[in-house]
Amino acid sequence: MYAEKRWDLRPQKKKIRLTAFDILLYALMFVFLILLLYPFWFVVIGSLSDGRDYNAGGVFLLPRSWSLSSYKVVFSDPELYVAFGVTLARTAVGTVTSLLFTAMVAYAMHSKDLIAKPVFYWFNIFTMFFGGGLIPFFLLIVNLGLYDTFWVYVIPGLYSVYNMIIISTFYHGISSELREAAMIDGASEFTVFLRIYIPLSKPVLATVGMWIAVGHWNSYYDTMLYTVDKSLHTLQYYLMRLILLSSAPSSTSNLPPEILNDTIPVTISYASIVIASIPVIMLYPVIQKICFSQGITAGSVKG
Amino acid sequence: MDKIVIKKKKVWTKNRIQLFIMAMFGAAFLIVFAYVPMFGVALAFKDGDKELNILDVLISGKWVGFANFERFFNDYNFKNILTNTLGLNILMLFINFPAPIVFALLIHEIRHRAYQRTVQSIAIFPTFLSWVVFGGILLSLLDMNMGIANPVLRALGIIGKDDFINFGEAKFAWANISISSLLKGTGWSSVIYTAAILGIDPELYEAAKLDGAGRFRQITAITIPSIAPMLTVSLLLSISGLLNNSFEHINVFQNAVNTAKSEVIATYVYKQGISGRLYSYTTAVGLFQSLVALILLASSNFISKKITGRGLY
Repeated sequence: MYAEKRWDLRPQKKKIRLTAFDILLYALMFVFLILLLYPFWFVVIGSLSDGRDYNAGGVFLLPRSWSLSSYKVVFSDPELYVAFGVTLARTAVGTVTSLLFTAMVAYAMHSKDLIAKPVFYWFNIFTMFFGGGLIPFFLLIVNLGLYDTFWVYVIPGLYSVYNMIIISTFYHGISSELREAAMIDGASEFTVFLRIYIPLSKPVLATVGMWIAVGHWNSYYDTMLYTVDKSLHTLQYYLMRLILLSSAPSSTSNLPPEILNDTIPVTISYASIVIASIPVIMLYPVIQKICFSQGITAGSVKG
Repeated sequence: MDKIVIKKKKVWTKNRIQLFIMAMFGAAFLIVFAYVPMFGVALAFKDGDKELNILDVLISGKWVGFANFERFFNDYNFKNILTNTLGLNILMLFINFPAPIVFALLIHEIRHRAYQRTVQSIAIFPTFLSWVVFGGILLSLLDMNMGIANPVLRALGIIGKDDFINFGEAKFAWANISISSLLKGTGWSSVIYTAAILGIDPELYEAAKLDGAGRFRQITAITIPSIAPMLTVSLLLSISGLLNNSFEHINVFQNAVNTAKSEVIATYVYKQGISGRLYSYTTAVGLFQSLVALILLASSNFISKKITGRGLY
């Protein structure tokens, strides 16, 4: 919305006349679009191909012989559903808790009534410039007893200084008169945060929340680092095993040979890529709406 | 009246205590998850490799000085790892820093809004995919038997009819890694610049037009100077990350054949530290990385302040 309004401010002739530069630019962008879109098409047709035939190569526009076997193999793998469930759970729980926790700290950090505010500020900022590194962090996770539990996905991501700064910058733009009025009515700081600041900061919370959610959905390194139990594998980790390690889905031992014969590891991994991308594609309109509403520059431009 | 005055002077009011507690939640989190690991770097100066009880080593272990650091600097992999880490990052800085700016400028020049929005929304899509998915797709295109890269190169006459290129070879590792990051990140990174360009006062363009400036001149004389402060900040941030690589990114493009060209500090620390359990050794490697990053940030910030008068802090 924000972007749309601003675009029209740019001086434009009523009728767009295309110069040679424009035509070149349009063509260049078209090539760029094809370069970005074709890889997805390539994977989709690969996933719908008969593995034996696909193995010969040359399948670039449409499958030569169609087959749904790769999908059947992936969908009959119980580990896919476990991984999907874990990813869904960590994304939901992780995003909500992290957003509320970070917004609450941001509220306190933005307030001029906060005692020792500069101390808190530098205590936060310092962690952005220096860290202990991976191994001390790993050993901490082990010693806290978070290793190989579901909570290792949630608790270490509960708070982010970067997100706190973005949210508190937004809070600075909220008129303090609202807060003062509520205070006179006897509201506590926590009530003001919950009842006034959270509802008023929906755009920035949507943007920050989206990025937290995307991070949860896409992460596989933490699964590699902090878990061994199969029931804690995430979707991306499941994919990584299929794609990079070419490990076969656990279902392959129970499936009839006529289905398995139509597949090769590559087509199976393509099918899994498509399956894992569908939620992102379905939610893409929402993601875009968040990106191109005022939330996009929340924290820097928007005040 | 008096009562109210006294209340105002009181420092620890009920609401201030509440605020303090809220801020303390954040501080407590940072103590546990940021400051405790910082003290954990003491492990780099002790011998805790393959130890089971690491807390014991941390508290009562013998100091070994810089032995772990020396071991890293003398390791036969050290030269490769440092070359790859720095080389890849510098390469990506050279490609990935200007690309989004150029892309934002080009997108801004598209006059049909529908086309402009289509290009933009497709360009940012890969940002929302994981490295496994996006990298996996790119790897499938490069596959020797089933991929499309080789047939295209043959059709263009770049390689002979019966030749083929194995993109998994070590000499292509840097190209794979840097080009994939370009494709994945350019669209999204350009959005920030687009927003900045949109914030430029349109009257500036109007005035330049009256003075006879063409489209290219408008870009060099108005658009680029207007977004210059932003460019400084993002350049500074990228320089401080010269020893940082995304493990999730590199790991996807690493294979058994190309490790000589794809092993970076991030992947090395994982292999030696987590899989190999060389805790002290890899803590030293990580500390080396953090310190270099800190020095790079401080010095580039200093130089930037001297030259442009702008810095991060």
